[in-house]
Amino acid sequence: MNIEPITGGYLNVTVEGVPQRIYVEQAGQGRPVLCLHTAGADTRQWRHLMNDAGVTAEHRLIAFDMPWHGKSLPPEGFQTQEYLLTTQTYMATVLAVLDGLGLDRPILAGCSMGGRIALQLAARHADRFSGFIAIEASDFQPAWYDIDWFDRPDAHGGEMGAALVSANISPYAPERERWNTLWMFMQSGPGVFRGDLSFYTQDDSLIGLLGAIDTGRTPVHLIVGAYDLTCTPEDASRTAAAIPGATLAVMDELGHFPMSEHPAGFRPFFLDALGRMPAARASAA
Amino acid sequence: MLDIFRDIQSRLEDSPHLRRLGRLFSETILIEVDGAEHYLTFDRGRLVQIVPGPSRRTPWRFALRTDAEALHAFWQPRPAPGFHDIFGLVKIGRGRIDGDILCLVRNLRFFKEIMALPRARTGACA
Repeated sequence: MNIEPITGGYLNVTVEGVPQRIYVEQAGQGRPVLCLHTAGADTRQWRHLMNDAGVTAEHRLIAFDMPWHGKSLPPEGFQTQEYLLTTQTYMATVLAVLDGLGLDRPILAGCSMGGRIALQLAARHADRFSGFIAIEASDFQPAWYDIDWFDRPDAHGGEMGAALVSANISPYAPERERWNTLWMFMQSGPGVFRGDLSFYTQDDSLIGLLGAIDTGRTPVHLIVGAYDLTCTPEDASRTAAAIPGATLAVMDELGHFPMSEHPAGFRPFFLDALGRMPAARASAA
Repeated sequence: MLDIFRDIQSRLEDSPHLRRLGRLFSETILIEVDGAEHYLTFDRGRLVQIVPGPSRRTPWRFALRTDAEALHAFWQPRPAPGFHDIFGLVKIGRGRIDGDILCLVRNLRFFKEIMALPRARTGACA
C-alpha cells in the first residue's frame, strides 16, 4: 500500500446562519497551522507540504475547502444564488472552522485571497491566532482583467481562468506541478473564481487597518514570488512596510501558487516562516 | 520575425494537441513588432497564412503589439519575471493587447501556447 498520511473529513458548521458542510484535510502533529487555498482552487494546493514529514513532524497542518470549492458543496439553494465572497463571510468561515475543530490559536497560513484574509484576521481577530504567514498577499489588488470573463454561459470559465492564471506561474515550476495547479482552476465550479475575485479585487477595506496590526503579539511574515503578476514583490513590499514589525521574503524563482506550483522551491521559505512563529501552545483538538 | 512565425506554423503542424485546442479558432490576428505588422490567419487551429503589413484593409480580431527585444526575452527558456507571459509583457509596459479581448480570452490557452512555441527551439518549457 502506498497511502499518503493526509486524512480528510467533513465538518458541519453554520456560517452567518447558513449551514455549511466543509471538507477538511489534516496531517501531522504538534503546532497547528491552518492553511487557506487561493481563489478558484482548493485544499489540494497544500498536499505537498502535508505529505512532507519534515514539516508535519512538529506541525499539524489543517486545510479546508471553502464552501463552493473542492469537496465542500455550495449551500442549499445555490442554484438561484450569485456567488460573491465578502470579507465578512470569509472571516466568519475561517473562524467557524476554527471553532468547529476546537483549534486554539493556530498559525494561519494563507495564499493569495487566503493571504489577504489572513491579514484581515491579523487586523480584526488577532486573538484567535498565534501568528500569520501571508503568501502572495497584499493590501489591495484591483483587477487587471475583467472578472466577468470567468462566468459566462457561452464559454468554459475554468479553462479561461486556468489560461489566465498561468501568467502567474514561474517558468522554474516543474511541468507536472504547473499543470496540476492549473487543473484545479479548470475544475472550479461556474462563477466560483469570479466570486472569489470579486472579494479579492474590489474590497479595499484592509488598507487602513494594516498599521494597527500588533506583530509583537502575533508575528506577520509575508512571502512573495518574483513571477507573480497579480501580487508582485512591489505589492507585497508596500503591504509589509505598512505593518509595523512585519517581515518579508521574496522568492526569485516562484510565482503566485508556490506551495502548489513548485513545492521544493517553496519548502525552505515555508520552514523559515514557521520558524518565525511563536512556540506552540497546547491545542484543544 | 517572419522566420519565427514560420517556425511557429511548422511547430503547430507537429502539435496535434494544440490544433485540437484551436479547433474552433478561425481568425486573423495582428502581431506588431517594433511597429512592423504581421497578419496571422488561422483556420480551425492551423496557421494557414502569414502576411507582412502594413495593411489598412486586413481585418483582424485582436492584436498583440510589442518589440523584438521583449519577444527575444519572452522566448528564452526561462524568461525573466514579466517576460514569461504575454500578460506579463503588458504588465511591465512592453506589450499591448487590443481588439476583441473576449475572443482572445476564449482562446487564451491556444494563443499563449502557440506564441511560446519558439521556446521549444532551446528545449525549454512552453
